[in-house]
Amino acid sequence: MERRGKFTMFDVINTLFILGCVILCLAPFLHIMSVSLSSNAPIMSGRVTIYPIDLNFDAYTRVLSDMSMIRSLLFTILLTLAFTASAMVMTTMVAYTLSTEKLKGRKLFMLLIVFTMFFSGGLIPEYLLIKSLNLLDSLLVLILPGLISPFYMIIMITFFRSTIPESLNEAAEIDGCSDFGKLFRIVLPLSLPVLATLSLFYAVGRWNGFRDALFYITDQNLYPLQLKLYQMVMNNMISEVTLAEGANAAAVQYLPESLKAASIMFATIPILIVYPWLQRYFVSGLTLGSVKG
Amino acid sequence: MKALKRVGSVAFAVMLCIALLVGCSSNSSTGTGSNTAGSAAKNEKNDSGSKERVTLKVEVFDRGNSPEGMTVTNNLMTKYVQENFGDPNNIDVEFVAVPRSEEINNLNVLMAAGTAPDIIFTYNEGAVYSWAQQGGLMDLGPAIEEHGPQLKEYLADSLQYGIFDGMQYAVVARRVNLQKYSSLIRKDWLDALSLPIPTTTEETYEALKAFKQNNMGGERTIPFGFALAPDSYEPVIWSFIKEQSDEARYLRSVTIGSREYPILMDGHKDALQFLNKLYNEGLLDPDFALDKDKKKKDEHFVNGYTGLYSFDSGQAFGNGESSAVMTLESNVSGAEVAPVLPWTDFEGKNRQPAYNPSGMYIMVPSFSKRTAEAIKYLNWMAQDEVIQYMAFGEEGVHHNLVDGYPVRNSSEEDQKLLYNTGDMLIITNGIDFGSAENNNEYMALSVVEKHRELAIQSRSFADKDAVQQPISFDKPLDSEAKYSVVMLEKYEELLVKSIMSKPEEFDKVYEVTLKDFMDTAGTEVFEERKVAYEAMQQ
Amino acid sequence: MIRKSYVIKHWQLYAMLILPLAYFIVFKYFPIYGVTIAFKDFNVFKGITASEWVGLDVFRDIFSQKSFYVALRNTFMLNGLDLLFGFPAPIILAICLNELRLKAFKKLSQTLLYLPHFISWVIIGGIVYQVFATNYGIVNLLLEKIGLGPFPFLSDKLYWLATYTSVGIWQSVGWGSIIYLAAITGINKELYEAAEVDGASRLRKIWHITLPGIRTTIIVLLILKIGDMVDIGFDRPYIIGNVMVREYSDVLSTYIYRIGLQSGQFSIATAVGLFQAVVGLVFILSANYISKKTTDEGII
Repeated sequence: MERRGKFTMFDVINTLFILGCVILCLAPFLHIMSVSLSSNAPIMSGRVTIYPIDLNFDAYTRVLSDMSMIRSLLFTILLTLAFTASAMVMTTMVAYTLSTEKLKGRKLFMLLIVFTMFFSGGLIPEYLLIKSLNLLDSLLVLILPGLISPFYMIIMITFFRSTIPESLNEAAEIDGCSDFGKLFRIVLPLSLPVLATLSLFYAVGRWNGFRDALFYITDQNLYPLQLKLYQMVMNNMISEVTLAEGANAAAVQYLPESLKAASIMFATIPILIVYPWLQRYFVSGLTLGSVKG
Repeated sequence: MKALKRVGSVAFAVMLCIALLVGCSSNSSTGTGSNTAGSAAKNEKNDSGSKERVTLKVEVFDRGNSPEGMTVTNNLMTKYVQENFGDPNNIDVEFVAVPRSEEINNLNVLMAAGTAPDIIFTYNEGAVYSWAQQGGLMDLGPAIEEHGPQLKEYLADSLQYGIFDGMQYAVVARRVNLQKYSSLIRKDWLDALSLPIPTTTEETYEALKAFKQNNMGGERTIPFGFALAPDSYEPVIWSFIKEQSDEARYLRSVTIGSREYPILMDGHKDALQFLNKLYNEGLLDPDFALDKDKKKKDEHFVNGYTGLYSFDSGQAFGNGESSAVMTLESNVSGAEVAPVLPWTDFEGKNRQPAYNPSGMYIMVPSFSKRTAEAIKYLNWMAQDEVIQYMAFGEEGVHHNLVDGYPVRNSSEEDQKLLYNTGDMLIITNGIDFGSAENNNEYMALSVVEKHRELAIQSRSFADKDAVQQPISFDKPLDSEAKYSVVMLEKYEELLVKSIMSKPEEFDKVYEVTLKDFMDTAGTEVFEERKVAYEAMQQ
Repeated sequence: MIRKSYVIKHWQLYAMLILPLAYFIVFKYFPIYGVTIAFKDFNVFKGITASEWVGLDVFRDIFSQKSFYVALRNTFMLNGLDLLFGFPAPIILAICLNELRLKAFKKLSQTLLYLPHFISWVIIGGIVYQVFATNYGIVNLLLEKIGLGPFPFLSDKLYWLATYTSVGIWQSVGWGSIIYLAAITGINKELYEAAEVDGASRLRKIWHITLPGIRTTIIVLLILKIGDMVDIGFDRPYIIGNVMVREYSDVLSTYIYRIGLQSGQFSIATAVGLFQAVVGLVFILSANYISKKTTDEGII
């Protein structure tokens, strides 16, 4: 469908521009990777930039031979899948319903939901709620409280409205299509790009999120990978505290920088693969086909 | 479209599950329990006589560094505690992990939910104070009298730091090593310039100037490694202070965190003016104000740009083979350092700050019903053989005897048992071998052999003319707790702006920034200090 | 009667709302009583309900502090800069990406461009301080080579604003562009084909087809962004900020951190949060109203 035209000046400038952006975005990642592959002395001297010095794989050997890291990785993959699936179902249900312009009470529902974007009870009441629901230290606590993001819901509504022509809706209704039928046969097939996008957003949010686990999970078998990572990277960074800790902190084993960097790579690379995989759903031309068909 | 169907069916199953869950759980969610346990726990006396097995919950920091197959709540050390303390006393000791970096938030939430462990601890004095003030802490005085003879003997002086308003709200751990800061100077540079190791502020200044003029560390020479961190500015500032009386320390300095800042004392301004001079003569890192985490300062040192380097005692030699000094020596051939006491005060002494002999605060929340067991646990821990085991394990397995000192052998066994010994053996910060010299010798054993002499000398320098700080009132001050972060930020502004001002504008800048400090928090704090001081005098 | 019949006819729609509404009620509205902490002398041990009411004392305390207004001003200023520069950036990037001819490069670059989104601010902060240092920072070294600088990117207030804004754009632009790319795929291809027949240039097609095609998405995201004007994350200003630029880098989130969270003063934090919520809600509703009136697009 792309016209095989000349490679114009516009293309040259555009390609170079994007190339520049790519380099800028890649550099810090290369830096972290280089740290993970370097030995301690050059790291301490600040000599490691975007290529490793004294190349070695010790840090990765350590990370990969740590069963608890591997288990945490598998757990996090499972958690992310379960969360993303449930969140997409819930968000789709509410977004589809509220995208129906004629729905009675639509404005009220919207207002109630938008309200929650701004007002929240705060840490303590939320903790008490989770506790009284008996959800502490369970897998569900990492899934249920975040099921619907009003932000993503609004985006989905916007896409539903703008990609699905009103004419199609009306046609379906005349054909006696039920609301469920319309959702499954028309709306969802036409909305693959936004479904892919929001799945990505939910998945990445869950993958990177650890604040909830920090408070709700004490069972280390349920530690998401990012929480483990946070503990490793952050816990020894608060200099003010470690200073007062003195001998106690010194009596605690410290993790070398390269190990931290290797763990960051270990925790980041799996989720990076998701986007290229989801890109296949960014296909256009579906609108065309279904209207004609 | 096949993919979509598959996703759809999975999603439907998930949906059903959620429906079921939400359905049944919302019934039980009606009572949002708020806790009024504070008073209920008071009438509870020790139930040590009963034969019923009880659970004692103990906080432990989680730093994400557990060896494979272990967690901070379940490892060889927790087993040791259970077998040697728990079982004989009919107690199940349950450890509760609290993430190190979120400890206060986490504890607050657990307190609000009434599920905080029976033994909690923190270094955060502000938090301790606010809990005590809200009536959330148990007075441990009586329980210590009854169940803690050994604990009391072991902690000795440090226990007094846990008394607020006459109540023993906290058991305060001992701190063994009180040295705060040490300095090193590049011996090879001095030799090349035929200068002696400086012993006075004047000589140090001359040496720094000579380093700069001769570009000893190349184009990027930083004569005095300086960061926006206490280990850089505290030693300099205290050496300029001319007042030493307790009265001056009560009335003209403030306490921020665990440090005393002699802001209004005679000499404070001179100290900043001196630093201003160093800055304007190019003797400090021009970007020092951006170096909050001391990363640059350390980098410059190990890369051989720095002439004079001050640091938290022990840091430069710590970490064995990869210590800062070792790294310097491997980066710069011929580099050699010597311990130095660079700053002298108006009497020619090396006045410098030191720690109080107190470590972390260990507390029991008021709603806990296990006060007696908690003290028994700490009391058990205070026995010599327990401390020995919790710090060093067994000889030949976890440590070896070197010159009569137990030195951990870094074996797999050692790492498995002792990887978080500092967080388990909570009643002490560092291990006491009877005297400062012994402790020093022991410390040196963890340093690579060729640096041992230097390390010992460096640490003993840190003891010279050292003054413990902060000086403490009989109870913490409201305003200081409230403004601790504000004061630190304003103080840093005062430091940075006056050090970086042009010499001729120094007076004006100092005045303006000091006024800002006083207006935002200082005045209120000093007034409260005055009132508290006068009350103490009576 | 009409009302009832609509509900019955579309019972399936309402059935689909049951679970989501239950979700909002249980997880969002049940704990909302927590906002009363702002009006109480909150005692962690007594609990929220048993703590004493203090009326508007907490607000009076906050509104009497000069530093609160400074933090509020800075929050608006930094968010305003983000709105001005950070908001259009992903739109431009998405359009540029869409125009790329080399398919493989297009796919690869999309993936690489969103890398910074995965790096935590602590690590970004370390890198920024290294790269933008006045002395021997790589940026200034390069600028010196072409005879410029050195520039105080981190220590001068105005330069710092530029640094803050551009680091923010760098961190979020790739991630932000994904949504616009998704929107662009929804544009009817026939429009482009028709334009091509007419011999329209690339820029004309972008202006007349692509941009109008993603107009709704842009407006909706803009409204949401305006609702967030008074809300600001903690990490970015705190980590990129430093003592030299505190006059500009102190925002509401760092203000809350400074005056209390460390020692657990929940009342102040809650009160500031409540203030932010009210302002945010007013902003988003006004933006929505204005947008409805002028463009007929909106979120509610």
